Amino acid sequence: MYEFTYIKPGSLPEASDLLTRHEGAKPLSGGMTLIPTLKQRLSQPSHLVDLTGLAALKGIALVEGRLEIGAATRHVEVATSTVVRESLPALAALAAGIGDPQVRNRGTMGGSVANNDPAADYPSAVLGLAATVHTDRRSIAADDFFQGMFATALEPGELITRISFPLPERAAYAKFPHPASGYAMTGVFIAVTGGVVRVAVTGAGPGVFRWTDAEAALQASFSPAAIAGLEVDATDLNADIHAPAAYRANLVRVMALRALETLQTSSKGQ
Amino acid sequence: MSQVSLTVNGKAVSVDVEDRTLLSSVLRENLGLTGTHIGCDTSQCGACTVHLDGRVVKSCTVLAVQAAGSDVMTIEGLAPSHDPSGATLHPVQQAFSECHALQCGFCTPGMIMAVTGLLKDTPDPDEQQIIHGLEGNLCRCTGYVNIVKAVKQAASALRA
Amino acid sequence: MTFSRLEDRRLVTGAGRYVSDWNFPGQLHAAFLRADRAHARIVSINTEAARAMPGVRVVLTAADTAAAGFRSLPCAAPIPGKGGSALLKPERPVLAGDVVRFVGECVACVVAETAIAAQDAVEAIIVEYEDLPVAMTAEAAVAPGAPQLHPGIPGNVAIEFETGDPAAVAAAFEGAAHVVSLDLHNQRVVGSPMEPKGCLARHDASTGDYFVHVCTQGTTGMRAQLVATTGVPDEHVHIVAEDVGGGFGLRFNAYPEYSAIMLAARLAGAPVRWVASRSEVFLSDEHARGVTSRGEVALDAEGHFLAFRFNFLNDMGAYIAPTGPVVAVLSIRACLAGVYRVPAAVANVRLALTNSVPMAAYRGAGRPVISYMIERLVDQAATDLGIDPVELRRRNLIPTAAMPWKTVNGLGYDSGDFPAVLDKALGLSDWNGFSARRAEAGARGMLRGIGIATFIESTGGGASPDEVEARFGDHGEITIHAVSHSHGQSHETAYAELLASVLGLPRERFRLRNGDPGVRLAGNPTGGSRTMHGVGSALRVLADDIIAKGRELAARALEAASADIEFDNGVFRIAGTDRSVSLDALIERHAAGPERVFDTRSSARTGSTFPNGCHVAEVEIDPATGVVSIERYTAVDDAGNLLNPTIVAGQMHGAIVQGAGQVLGEHAIYDLETGQFLTGSFMDYAMPKAVNVHGLTIADHPVPTPTNLLGVKGVGEAGVTGSLPALMNAILAALRPVGVTHFDMPATPARVWGAVGAARAGDGRRFAHA
Repeated sequence: MYEFTYIKPGSLPEASDLLTRHEGAKPLSGGMTLIPTLKQRLSQPSHLVDLTGLAALKGIALVEGRLEIGAATRHVEVATSTVVRESLPALAALAAGIGDPQVRNRGTMGGSVANNDPAADYPSAVLGLAATVHTDRRSIAADDFFQGMFATALEPGELITRISFPLPERAAYAKFPHPASGYAMTGVFIAVTGGVVRVAVTGAGPGVFRWTDAEAALQASFSPAAIAGLEVDATDLNADIHAPAAYRANLVRVMALRALETLQTSSKGQ
Repeated sequence: MSQVSLTVNGKAVSVDVEDRTLLSSVLRENLGLTGTHIGCDTSQCGACTVHLDGRVVKSCTVLAVQAAGSDVMTIEGLAPSHDPSGATLHPVQQAFSECHALQCGFCTPGMIMAVTGLLKDTPDPDEQQIIHGLEGNLCRCTGYVNIVKAVKQAASALRA
Repeated sequence: MTFSRLEDRRLVTGAGRYVSDWNFPGQLHAAFLRADRAHARIVSINTEAARAMPGVRVVLTAADTAAAGFRSLPCAAPIPGKGGSALLKPERPVLAGDVVRFVGECVACVVAETAIAAQDAVEAIIVEYEDLPVAMTAEAAVAPGAPQLHPGIPGNVAIEFETGDPAAVAAAFEGAAHVVSLDLHNQRVVGSPMEPKGCLARHDASTGDYFVHVCTQGTTGMRAQLVATTGVPDEHVHIVAEDVGGGFGLRFNAYPEYSAIMLAARLAGAPVRWVASRSEVFLSDEHARGVTSRGEVALDAEGHFLAFRFNFLNDMGAYIAPTGPVVAVLSIRACLAGVYRVPAAVANVRLALTNSVPMAAYRGAGRPVISYMIERLVDQAATDLGIDPVELRRRNLIPTAAMPWKTVNGLGYDSGDFPAVLDKALGLSDWNGFSARRAEAGARGMLRGIGIATFIESTGGGASPDEVEARFGDHGEITIHAVSHSHGQSHETAYAELLASVLGLPRERFRLRNGDPGVRLAGNPTGGSRTMHGVGSALRVLADDIIAKGRELAARALEAASADIEFDNGVFRIAGTDRSVSLDALIERHAAGPERVFDTRSSARTGSTFPNGCHVAEVEIDPATGVVSIERYTAVDDAGNLLNPTIVAGQMHGAIVQGAGQVLGEHAIYDLETGQFLTGSFMDYAMPKAVNVHGLTIADHPVPTPTNLLGVKGVGEAGVTGSLPALMNAILAALRPVGVTHFDMPATPARVWGAVGAARAGDGRRFAHA
């Protein structure tokens, strides 16, 4: 790691101010991506602004029929929260499968969503549920938030404060973990919210995206048969030493089918 | 530089470190607790696993400054302190030895700390839960066969 | 009694002492600048800025190692090449001065007051390179027009071995009813012991002594290589090691970094420690396997093997590692005919130099290459000829009554009961019940396959006798010294239990010290699964020598002739009387005296043993994802007498899963154009995890060998030697029904899925040779 100065601000405005004032400053939440990056000397921030002490970023609550989760909420808290398990079990299940226990005990929802790693799990839930990302400046719809590999609508210094999820009639997530890293090689989040089907895919492409063909097919008939014959265009999907794009295209359909299987065994998903 | 105060294995300690210092290096270099091992640099192997405020974490992926004010338990603090001779092992340590769940021993401290964390949350895990619970730890010697066995034995010992 | 090992207490409490756990006052820290390209001429190295950085004490480059009189790292061939040719030895510098030949090769070493400061300074070194073309695979390296890596090694072939009788083989193929051939690739892997390698060196300027703390499999090999490289006299190099976090062959040789750290310690006038990051480990630990091969078998009309013919092209990396040629050829020579009664066989082995990390031993060390070749070829022959794979093996196994057996190239197997091992494995694996299990899996849409491997190993004979020494302490403790260093094999427990059982003393009385610089012994490092037959035999001699001493003392104490003294279960007794004295009492009376009468050094020399086995694997493949899951695995092994079955089973588990790791995903990949290493972390290199080895059954069928005092055969590596072919044969068996005719490791989900898809589209060989 290169040298940096660590600061743990006491308030959100203070954090925001620090991040705006120091051009080389970076926010630090669970650090599960940032710290390994620093260790590899792939990033050289001047300051790290630790957000985990900010009360404004904490908490899980049902508010007016929506599930609101503070940005600094750790994956383990989402996975084990009674409120999440009862109101949005697919999200709890997703959180319970992120990384490994040590990662879930540190990593946070806000950190994951702000980082927008193309193989992260949470972005698929945020996009699949058409959640709203609240920041210290504004509210951003999921469809506008994610802008490709590691890119989001966040402006410099802007911080996610909480994410607000509508409660779906049903939702499920299925992922195929990368054999080495455990990240999603492909993860598919399917949700029916207010009668509208959304299918969000992570891991397979350069960033989370919606599989609109499947959405249309499932909207017409919410069954595995509706998508079993769909082809996924591999053109823009990731290809690397681990798998060609065609394999990931296949996984998109297979994981979507597995998510649907989950839904068949439980009315709300799990 | 920052002064970091924390509790390690029940003892209050304070160290002056650069902000870029990892918790693992404070444990190993400043406090001489070399039972916490470093097996990789990408947070995959889990050899550095300790308990931070009662939760398992990889101490190579936590800055020491982030751990200020926290309670840390390392492998050296796991065995019951009521036995001044140190002869008594924690049931997980005991089970690892009895089930031959370690060979070279390098991954073992992290593995044992991860298992104690797992059993705290899941006192009676089935095989799938054990496998899922060990996803953050690599072992190259045992093929995991006897580790899984040791987790089951430790679980029943802890429930007894 | 509940199982536990003597070494366990310190290891489960965090009190083990690995290289990075040692600290000395005034200790400095080192970091290495490594080549960031695969092949380039070094135009200049500028270390000025690095030297000026805070806390920096020493910066070493090739100029400094030259000034210190360093020589090329050593290498040798264990047998002459074809036609008596010699190994063409590449010069391998500790720090590259003129040319870098692989990504990760050491170029400079910085010593500073902290590890972070050393790393900071490494980044300030400026190297100007002039890139050269690369040869990243053995095939590319031996192709006409390939860039030449070393002067004096045209065509990049360091040596070509031939073992067996080519004329007899040619004649057999002439008259064969059937010929079956198979091309296989045994991919490059990284052994990845969990402890990253490291080195801490202390230099005593007043005596010239170096104390070198390293991860080691045994001090003798390590010391000899450091002496050869640094030119420091043998008596001044002292290897220190306690716990070693895994080795698997990769901790045998003295890496160039170790010599550099020795020099750094002398120049800095302080202890210097370097501990590799995992990223450095991936770029600099010896890699292994990496063999392209072709096998052919000639059969008569009844399916009897008439001859084997093998060609191996080995990717050796950019230099020849000290153990590289041994691994490449000796196991192939020893196991050339496998467990089969084949009248003629020949193997040709070419060692090619490529722009990659040097290749050396990894668990199995060549046996997984030859067993994989033979056993896949046998399955291919069974498929092509429409003979059941078990039946084809049964027709060709060496009969038990024929033991000892002389193999085609003049070597021999002393003992074995191959048909019985096969039968036991078939029974335990419920081979006959497979079709029902396949039908059940098929109903779930899964492809199920069963595979078998009947194989033999040759364990290391050792370059010298193995010496052991017992030193009796003042408080009854008995310290055993030996060279062969445990890096997980439980030597501490195994040795103590062996001595305890012979001497009738509790095992807790014994402690093991490997790597004690104060005790210099001859002997072999741990390797080739040889420790229990080598060191174990020496310990048996040691116990007898101690008993002999005790007998003399007992005769004096009991006032009897020593010939009349019997020894049983720790007690000396005048035969036919109740007059006795215990060994323990004699030790208490005599051991601590100034003459240290009980202190004993003994030795034994053993040759190779031939562990053998039959492994049966059963897998299920999900055609939708390509995921291979191991549903059942049965290993029946003849490892001779088992001293501690729990430890033996542990060795089998670990080795089988390491084999499964290579079969299912481990693959060290270089970019073929740039030479960059693409799988340089556990994020990209798929280590086996705690998943998917269900129903593992370990059983034995011991046939004690007469070639050593204990009747033991090696056991540390058989699991890999059996599991590569057994698992791949099972995977092929699952894939053949959908049209896959050939498939090379690794069976990653994407490759298996791709093979199924290609086969359905009419191409059954798409995933041959990754």
